[in-house]
Amino acid sequence: MADPSRLLIVDDNEDILSTFYEFFNSMGYEVKTAIDGLAALKLLRDESLFFDCLITDLVMPNISGVGLISIVKKEYPHLKIIAMTGYGDQPGALASEAHADVVLFKPIDLFKIENKVSQLLNQNNDKPED
Amino acid sequence: MSTPLIGVSKSILKIKELINHVANTCLNVLITGETGVGKEVVAQSLYAESNRSTKNFVKINCAALPETLLESELYGYEKGAFTGAHKKRPGKFQTADKGVLFLDEIGDMPLALQSKMLHVLQSGEFSPLGSDHEFKTDVWVIAASNHNLEERISQKNFREDLFYRLNIIKIDIPPLRKRKEDISPLIEYYFRLYKSEYPDNHGSKPDSDTLAKLCDYSWPGNVRQLQNCIKKQMILNSWSKIFEELPKEPSENTSDIQTDEQQNGTLSSEDNEFGNHRSTIISEFVDLSTSSDKLFEDISLKKIKKLASNRVEKEVITFVLEKVGWNRSRAAKILKISYKTLLYKMTEFDIHPPVK
Repeated sequence: MADPSRLLIVDDNEDILSTFYEFFNSMGYEVKTAIDGLAALKLLRDESLFFDCLITDLVMPNISGVGLISIVKKEYPHLKIIAMTGYGDQPGALASEAHADVVLFKPIDLFKIENKVSQLLNQNNDKPED
Repeated sequence: MSTPLIGVSKSILKIKELINHVANTCLNVLITGETGVGKEVVAQSLYAESNRSTKNFVKINCAALPETLLESELYGYEKGAFTGAHKKRPGKFQTADKGVLFLDEIGDMPLALQSKMLHVLQSGEFSPLGSDHEFKTDVWVIAASNHNLEERISQKNFREDLFYRLNIIKIDIPPLRKRKEDISPLIEYYFRLYKSEYPDNHGSKPDSDTLAKLCDYSWPGNVRQLQNCIKKQMILNSWSKIFEELPKEPSENTSDIQTDEQQNGTLSSEDNEFGNHRSTIISEFVDLSTSSDKLFEDISLKKIKKLASNRVEKEVITFVLEKVGWNRSRAAKILKISYKTLLYKMTEFDIHPPVK
């Protein structure tokens, strides 16, 4: 069996974070969580860790989701990104501009997110290796 | 030389860590915090740690200039763009190219300029006043505000889209009263600094009791206020005097100072007339009706000197202009200033010829 896909989930709401953790864990993913953009960036820069997909909230203290997406797209271009926002159109539009692969508006059904994750990662696997 | 970011508190250490992680991303930064907490110090640290540190750090205070002047300062103008534009002048966006543009007090930027700013941030292009060309600009925008911008948005004084575009990295600096462990290292730092600047001054450092008292104080003016106290101590060398002069804590200030300033009843009748005269003059430049601790924060002699001299200058310039029938070159000659300075001052003080 293939290795489980590795997710990094970022949200400044701890309840959301633990719900996401439980859910994706139960779906067979390897999950790490971060409470804000800086914590996420530190995990990303930790060389012992690897991720396939980032799921991030947008409005957060210190490094916003939009900031995180911009940094990730530049430094870790292979990583797939799903942005989630509950703050109206502005942050969502900025996330698209920063090239998030998918932008979702809260409230979002967890199964729908999982669906997007597996679509994104399969797309990735279909590509020939170079 | 710029001031380093001093502090050992958790929040300052976290800010340092954040600066270290984002200094090379060139993503827009919004720095918030009360007046005097060190927003510019954080901006300077970001700049110093970035790969733009060999280029310009250009600062503009969005609250200090009237709208039209702020616009021409930011974007520059072409020769003939408006009356008085005798030659082309580059704006801050141009001078800051490849470097940093620090927009201080962004919350006070007029709405019309906010939309123009938004356009520049979106497109990376700007056009000087009076020009048909759009110029590419590569500036790292760091903005700062002591206003709660979310509040300004709900009051329709600040554009939400501009807020989100600036708020990519958010650095919030807590007030000094919420990070008292930083007080001691700050004192240490400023003592050393002033000692090296003025080796002849012999103000003594606080002993442990004084330090405890300093840590107890609420520091409404934050690091800047503490810094001023240390500067004073270098000259007065009397901590007791410095405590006397500190604005009282909000909880205990209600009785003593306010009665003094609101009614002259406590003054002897002889002092009364002078007292009245004095407070009339002072009230022209300082809002005496505010609470005393806020009031004392506002009585900066430098600021008042500027306000007072501005007022007199404005009157004199208007007087001379009226006398010479608004002939600006004659007025400039009489006032012994350059024509350009006169035009600048007319814009600054909002002096206009009468409408015919």
